[in-house]
Amino acid sequence: MSKEPSSSRNQTKNDSLFTDDFQHNSTLIYEAFSYPTNQSLKTRQISALQGTMRGILFFLEGTVEETTIETHVMKPFYELSGKPEDGKVVDMLANSVLLTTAIREIVRLQDAVHDLLNGNCLILLENEKIAISANTASFEKRVVSEPTVENVVRGPKEAFIESMAVNQSLLRRQVKDSRLICENMTVGDVFPNEVSIMYIKGVADEKLIKEVKQKVEGIQTDVIQNLSILEQFIESRTYSLVPSTLMTERPDRATSFLLGGHILLLMENSPYALIVPITFWSLFHTAEDQYLRWTNVNFNRIISILAIFIAIFTPSIYLAVSTFHVEMLPPDLLFAIAATREIVPIPVLWEIILLEFTFEILREAGIRIPSVIGPTIGIVGALILGQAAVQANLVSPIIVIVVAITGLSSFVIQDLSLNFMIRILRFFFIFIANFMGFFGIFLAVACTFAYMASLKSFNVPFFSPLAPYFQPQKGVVFRKPVWKQSLVPFFSNSRYKKKVSNPKVGSRDD
Amino acid sequence: MRVKWLIILLPSFALLSGCWDKIELEERGYAVVLGLDKSEEDHMVDVTFQIENPQVGSTSESVAQSEPPSDILTITATDIISAKELANSIVSREIDLSQLQTIIIGEEFARSDYFNNIIGSSIRDPEIRRKMMLIVSKEKASEFIHTNHSKLETRPHKYYSFMRDRWKDTGYVPLSDLNRYFQRTANALFLVIYASTEKDPETRKSSDSYKAGQVPQEAGDPAQMIGSAVFQNGKMIGTLTGEETRYVLLLRKKSIANHYVDSFKDPIENDRKISVRLLKVKKTSVKVDVEKANPEVRVNVPITVQVLSSPSLHNYANTKERQRMLKEEIHDDLHAKIMKLIKKTQEEFEGEPFVWFQLARREFWTMDAYEDYDWQKKYQNADVQVELEITIESFGSQLKPPHVGSGK
Repeated sequence: MSKEPSSSRNQTKNDSLFTDDFQHNSTLIYEAFSYPTNQSLKTRQISALQGTMRGILFFLEGTVEETTIETHVMKPFYELSGKPEDGKVVDMLANSVLLTTAIREIVRLQDAVHDLLNGNCLILLENEKIAISANTASFEKRVVSEPTVENVVRGPKEAFIESMAVNQSLLRRQVKDSRLICENMTVGDVFPNEVSIMYIKGVADEKLIKEVKQKVEGIQTDVIQNLSILEQFIESRTYSLVPSTLMTERPDRATSFLLGGHILLLMENSPYALIVPITFWSLFHTAEDQYLRWTNVNFNRIISILAIFIAIFTPSIYLAVSTFHVEMLPPDLLFAIAATREIVPIPVLWEIILLEFTFEILREAGIRIPSVIGPTIGIVGALILGQAAVQANLVSPIIVIVVAITGLSSFVIQDLSLNFMIRILRFFFIFIANFMGFFGIFLAVACTFAYMASLKSFNVPFFSPLAPYFQPQKGVVFRKPVWKQSLVPFFSNSRYKKKVSNPKVGSRDD
Repeated sequence: MRVKWLIILLPSFALLSGCWDKIELEERGYAVVLGLDKSEEDHMVDVTFQIENPQVGSTSESVAQSEPPSDILTITATDIISAKELANSIVSREIDLSQLQTIIIGEEFARSDYFNNIIGSSIRDPEIRRKMMLIVSKEKASEFIHTNHSKLETRPHKYYSFMRDRWKDTGYVPLSDLNRYFQRTANALFLVIYASTEKDPETRKSSDSYKAGQVPQEAGDPAQMIGSAVFQNGKMIGTLTGEETRYVLLLRKKSIANHYVDSFKDPIENDRKISVRLLKVKKTSVKVDVEKANPEVRVNVPITVQVLSSPSLHNYANTKERQRMLKEEIHDDLHAKIMKLIKKTQEEFEGEPFVWFQLARREFWTMDAYEDYDWQKKYQNADVQVELEITIESFGSQLKPPHVGSGK
């Protein structure tokens, strides 16, 4: 299925074939890696059968486990007894001598380079035009550790790491099913990288799988370093605030998406999984959603939906009320605000913008700041935002409350893309409220909802299954007790032709 | 390129422009009390604005020590809205009526023909809310506003909003707002809170039948609000005492004041009084029969009584006979006063303040039929009978009187 590694610019003779000429073959490899300038390429002369069979072993430093080469490649080679028939040397070596898990016979330089780069060792034999590549890969990686962003109180405590193999193993451990498919594709023309597309066959929509694969195939670029960049290549609308993909660092969350018929993309060097397609609800639900009891999770959902609205609307509503609709405020509050506003030199709009930007700066600084001096940011921030600004008559105290509750609410939204969307939308609403008051806010709300309802992530409407309404509801807004839930694919294109045709997987209907 | 310009221009529109009525909230002067008086000139009205100073008493953050809690000024103009415009030439802030909760009307102005025109035309302004409370002051409204400074409430709006809650408990005044005024003034008598800062100490009576200014009071806040001003067809025609106002509320089908404390003659020791709380737990049932030549009105008022104190120290809780005596006393006393009040409304005011017109109106198929019937006129000869259903609910937490001295 996978595409063959495509040509590289700096290796001109890449598609050249190996020949009988041993010298020529080794020179090809030396040249490909600019040996001896490049010291990473390691070689070792090997011989067997009292020197009648000789060859060179190549590997790249840092990509292989050297003890594996010693015990599983070199040792069996040296201990070889009995001269093989002519022309069957490679066959015999590959099938009955070398002890590594994967052996490949290689005829083209291009493949040889690719294998070497991926941690295989390569054996070139005299008078043979076929090289043997044995899997001895071992790249450095960190151990599986706890999630840093998607924290849960109750639930698995492991997160994806930078190694794709480990990530796949984390997923395989959760879905022990032969229908879990893993297809590999390569992206990047100059520096190719592998992308692994995972889905559960029969659950994920066939059309969808095809579409995702086409999208990945269609990428034409020199290099894609990791998933975060791949995400930007395959997302539905580049210029939209609304995200159309989702990243998770939790294998359990990724698994639940897999089971729901979503498609997962993994890449080397990316400690997360990319999930497509998504709906608003995938972004809204948290990792903990299925682990808490029914009451608790629904309480959480009420809090988070409130938080979303507070985070978007509080500053704009305050602005609209205080400049256009003062009659809405109870007199006590109104007079308290008016009294403190009287000595503030700037209009409400600039008060809000000033403090909102301060908050955003604080937030950004909190991420960029070296962790050694991190704790100070809290103190400085509290001082800037709170007491000092008020005492200097720069802002009125109520603004501090407005911005603080807004900021706090925005932290409730865990997904980074959704979080950004809400924070940027907030400024949009502030401007429109300054322009037209509540009338403007309502107009903008209508436009925003209309736009979001029209959005599609890989042809899946953003608010489905609520709008357009279809399928038995899986409890998108409020969750049902677990025993009432069944694993139904979240969306299926075939719905437009007939009823949901995909089989249920692991149905738990009581 | 066009998109780029759009991105630059759109936010600047939002930032630099805005609707015309956009104004920061501290730039407004919030009038919380409005006074209306008859002007010396014809077709003019003296409008008094009491503008609250936000910096006094609202927050500890920003306090202006030397400023008064409110600014009061009177403008003579043709109506409220033009007075507001004129006042803007004097007051440093744009006068805003959206927080206005109370309108004080001088009695002299209320009794003039022009009152209805002024009030009626004011509601065209969206800032004038129909929830505003109406108060008639015995003296000129401007005098009332100038004199009425509460000792406990620095901020005038708080004074009026607290007073409003008190009134619900006492029932001495009707709850009168602008909306009810427009609903009822053409159909029946409309009662408005009656207030005064002038004391009238001669008319001290032993009962509760006080009007504003007559309550025996020493020290304390200057304004008394008790009793009601009676309006008919947009014009004030008389007053009711606090006690009469209570009875009016009792006879209404549903009243906002549902309980109050009253005192009655002690049936055993006639020179002593016994204090009870009267509760109207259920709605008053009113039946209006418009078929006869003179309409018949049958009223049944369920009253629950809680005995609060009996200074005569007689034990009423123990014997049924004494309870019956007490019930009868309350019934006879109330009934007599209520019938007297009904007679007064029929003969003196020629209309009813009990909102019975709503029940009479139901009996007609069309509005025209009702209007032809002329309820106000028919009411003057109506046969009204009131039944009081009195239940004694409790005698307080201590049933027996204490054994002190000659306690019986």
